[in-house]
Amino acid sequence: MKEGFRQAMAWLHTWAGLIFGWLLFAIFLTGTMSYFKPEITRWSQPEVPVRALDLPLALSKAQDYLQRNAADAPSWFIEPPNERTPGITVGWRGGDGPRGFTRKTLDAETGEEIVTRQTRGGDFFYRFHFQLEMPYPWGRWLATFAALMMLVGLVTGIITHKKIFKEFFTFRPGKGQRSWLDGHNAIGVLALPFHLMISYSSLVIFMYMVMPAPILASYDNEQGYFNEVFGGRDSVKASGEKVALQPLPELYRQVLAQAPDARIIWLDVQRPGDRNAQVLFIPDGHERVAVQRGAGWRFNGADGSLAWSARPETLAGTISGGFYGLHMASFAGPLLRWLYFFFGLAGTAVIGTGLVMWLGKRQLKHAKSGTQPFELRLVEVLNIASMSGLILGVAGFFWANRLLPVALEGRAQWEVNAFFAVWLASLVHAVLRPGRRAWGEQLALAALSWAALPLLNALTTGQGLNRSIAAGDWAMAGFDLTALGCGLLFAWTASKMLRQPVQAPKRAPKPAKAAPQPTREAEAS
Amino acid sequence: MLAIALFAFAGCAALCLAMDKHFTELLGRKPRPEQLLGLRVVGWLLLALALTAAVDHRGWAVGLAELFGMLMAGLCLWVFALPYRPRWLLGLALLSLVLAPFSALGLI
Repeated sequence: MKEGFRQAMAWLHTWAGLIFGWLLFAIFLTGTMSYFKPEITRWSQPEVPVRALDLPLALSKAQDYLQRNAADAPSWFIEPPNERTPGITVGWRGGDGPRGFTRKTLDAETGEEIVTRQTRGGDFFYRFHFQLEMPYPWGRWLATFAALMMLVGLVTGIITHKKIFKEFFTFRPGKGQRSWLDGHNAIGVLALPFHLMISYSSLVIFMYMVMPAPILASYDNEQGYFNEVFGGRDSVKASGEKVALQPLPELYRQVLAQAPDARIIWLDVQRPGDRNAQVLFIPDGHERVAVQRGAGWRFNGADGSLAWSARPETLAGTISGGFYGLHMASFAGPLLRWLYFFFGLAGTAVIGTGLVMWLGKRQLKHAKSGTQPFELRLVEVLNIASMSGLILGVAGFFWANRLLPVALEGRAQWEVNAFFAVWLASLVHAVLRPGRRAWGEQLALAALSWAALPLLNALTTGQGLNRSIAAGDWAMAGFDLTALGCGLLFAWTASKMLRQPVQAPKRAPKPAKAAPQPTREAEAS
Repeated sequence: MLAIALFAFAGCAALCLAMDKHFTELLGRKPRPEQLLGLRVVGWLLLALALTAAVDHRGWAVGLAELFGMLMAGLCLWVFALPYRPRWLLGLALLSLVLAPFSALGLI
């Protein structure tokens, strides 16, 4: 009975892993990149100058700009600069932007509008990792279901893995399938807290979508629930009486008086210039793990008095916010953020090694005949396209970001198109070339295109590593150095793939023990 | 944060050496049972110290997240580098053990 259970779990692990592995690989890789979303956006918009951080100055510049350009708009928003985002982003309802919404980037020191290249930057990868570029709500549902399957894969993997403690510290390289399994197990077990946390918390984040029944049983619609639990942010009605808005730096000083450590990431101004104007300051919540939904300070814009501040948290809210914060790493400083990045890569590697093993194990059975059945070839092609192809696609996005003309119509979408076009091309390439060659060629191209990104950046923007390191612009330099590091890693894997595989003896006798019949082993291999 | 990493890494190393197989492989001799027990006690003690350092650093919530981060990073480094550079890692573990108290006391 017990063995039967374990076998059933192994079956589930194998097939859930295979069917969802390709998608999960993409979700994990783009999600991992999202830990550096602002830095990727910063690299994608090299026109935004880095200034010394001065929030009151930036707020007053943003207010001036909005007063001049959007005085009649019903609402404004301001994203002030911080250590990771050098420019000010302002936006308002109305104007010529898409969907009746205008968004501009301002110089944090002068307050002048900066003409940046149109790009989705890091936001593209962030959105892709839970929406998959599919129409709402299908992408979210698919991504969430894949996350559930990841959790299933983890739990069934733990059950299947017999010697979880005995082989806790075990990794034996250079032994073919054995090493792949060791690596898969070790990287899965050693970073298991991360893997479990990231998969489970993603389900918590989307619990309102996945399990709406409890809310719908007690409320007419979801909005009613959100308003009651988190406090509604109803839009403020205009009175029609003109009263100048209080200076935002002044209100910001009031926030700092209450919470000296607060870092404001978002300002929401309703009805600016009206007697009923309200200004909402939202903090980043870096000082704690649990993200508090609805945290912030709301001022009456006309007289600067505090109108509202966050309501006390409930235990359930803290738990849900805790998982949200753990997933997003909103509390993480640079070091912890890098750790998140590496564990994200570890999760990606667990999925990748699993896919490779599924195929390798089955290909061995057909190794002698030299041909492989269609389904194995299909898995092989999908493995190549979903892994090295995706890596190429991401590089394609960044190359498009630097090479497309700045004035191109619909430029942001063309970058996304480049991403998918390269990804698709890699699928075609994988179909046309034999497996190992396809891996090697795609990885070699990936090595080239990633390692050359710093050079491309230097040539097209003049903000190459020589400039950015000297200027201490670590977001820009960090991106370039990471791309270079990725390129070297891909070059190493490509060189392994392009070399003829070493025909390791299938079951080499252990040197420590006296091999009983070495001659027969040698004959067999 | 450095103290957490150092204590956690030394603790992982001790717990690894507390296993007969790894002890024999890494140190080249058979361990006595009381050596293994001692290593296990020391390993868990070091992890407890890492926990203390983490909670002391930024409280339970962020501290635990930091501890897990450092622990997982240390384990990955240990396990994946061990087949290639066992002596370096033993040296690094020893160095961590020596430096950890100084780091915890804010001396480095």
